[in-house]
Amino acid sequence: MIVVVGTIPIKDMPLTTDFCEYSHEKLKGGNLDLPLINGTSALVATAAAACNALELPKPYAVLAGDIGTGEGSNLIYRFLRESFKPTSEKTVITMHYIKPNVLYARDAVKALKKRANTTLIADAGSMYVAKAAGLAKDFDLFTPDSGEMAFLADPEAMHPAYVRSFIFDAVNDVPALIQQAYQNGNAAKALLVKGVTDYIVDEGKIVAEVSEPCIPALEAVGGTGDTLVGIVSALIDSGYSITNAATIAAKANRLMGTLAKPNPATKVWEMIRFIPEALRKAEETLASE
Amino acid sequence: MTKKDKSEKAIVLLKDVRESMKAERILKTEKYDVKVVAPPPEVRIGCDLAIEISLVDGFGVENLLKSNGINPINVVPLSNLQLKPLEIIKEVDFGDYVMVKAGHMKLTYEKQSGEIVNVSGGGCPDIPFLALSMVGKTVTDTKRPDELGYTLCAFMLEKAYERALQNYRKKQP
Repeated sequence: MIVVVGTIPIKDMPLTTDFCEYSHEKLKGGNLDLPLINGTSALVATAAAACNALELPKPYAVLAGDIGTGEGSNLIYRFLRESFKPTSEKTVITMHYIKPNVLYARDAVKALKKRANTTLIADAGSMYVAKAAGLAKDFDLFTPDSGEMAFLADPEAMHPAYVRSFIFDAVNDVPALIQQAYQNGNAAKALLVKGVTDYIVDEGKIVAEVSEPCIPALEAVGGTGDTLVGIVSALIDSGYSITNAATIAAKANRLMGTLAKPNPATKVWEMIRFIPEALRKAEETLASE
Repeated sequence: MTKKDKSEKAIVLLKDVRESMKAERILKTEKYDVKVVAPPPEVRIGCDLAIEISLVDGFGVENLLKSNGINPINVVPLSNLQLKPLEIIKEVDFGDYVMVKAGHMKLTYEKQSGEIVNVSGGGCPDIPFLALSMVGKTVTDTKRPDELGYTLCAFMLEKAYERALQNYRKKQP
């Protein structure tokens, strides 16, 4: 079972916990229509599309409205700390767009870690706060882009905006940044680093690289990192090891780009329908290598 | 920064990043020499911003901000080395479009019309809200990230937006 945890840009949307469905380019969480935009919406839609393709149950979501004030994020932190009880024994929990608050995050992650058979993934604000709070090692997978990799590599930075220039200048030397992040204890057990080349890392060691097909416009399209996290979450839930899931997901996200033929003005929700085919092709390609 | 420099500086602590962004703009408009920095470690929560000022300006800064509806939590002397937000801005030319990158935030606009076509990067909850609010509008007509946003990601997006607006205006006849 996948559980996606994050915020939706609707002011005053209450805490909502339900299974989500994506069909005919519409996203529903329970009875609620959710906006299709980059961020947790794109992740949930992708996870739903990938789960459907892999014949898995629908993803479950823990969502709240937040336009940046932190109110919805705080509802989520409290829910994780006090009330979260997933129905499935084996759970992939993917934490996403949540406003960083190191004090609340410590309590929430502590509560999640009490559960056995849980794979804990963080991307976006949840990854920022996991690193800032010294919780990186509690996570099984982080999915940074190269700029966020510089943030993980900088032991002083508590947000990507504060990465020191001399570390950000090395943003193209991703293997060195990976090494620094592990040396300082600021990386999850595994990493999927998104970029011109995607790096799949296990306990500090680069175990795979994916760089084809190369679609430069994908960098401009908001939400293509979110689709990647949705795909990798579904693949882990289907039984792949974390690093194999990350390798297939990296390939599938690129193939989604090939199939959608994006330009820098393409919107992420125009690409999600290509995920089932991209997933199938990625699994076939990597199985034949 | 030398010890003497530190003793001459103070930082203004504000409620949140949104107030810090507003305060920076107000103070710069009034020609105060300010820069945005991280708050001291003991009060950081992970997504916050403070304003560094000259210590001697403390009273005037506080009054100016209050007259603009911003009540600083505190103005404290700068006593330890401050982290400051990244100032690295890069551009990627895609032909009809330009992507402006400020740190981890990216804003892409169409050269001819100035239409904002995508916002990407970041991880704070106001980024999807800013994408909903800004995409489809032109750089000259949209509300700015510092009017709509609350977080450090919005602060970096404001830097990318500012550069996009400057570029677009330069190209106009």
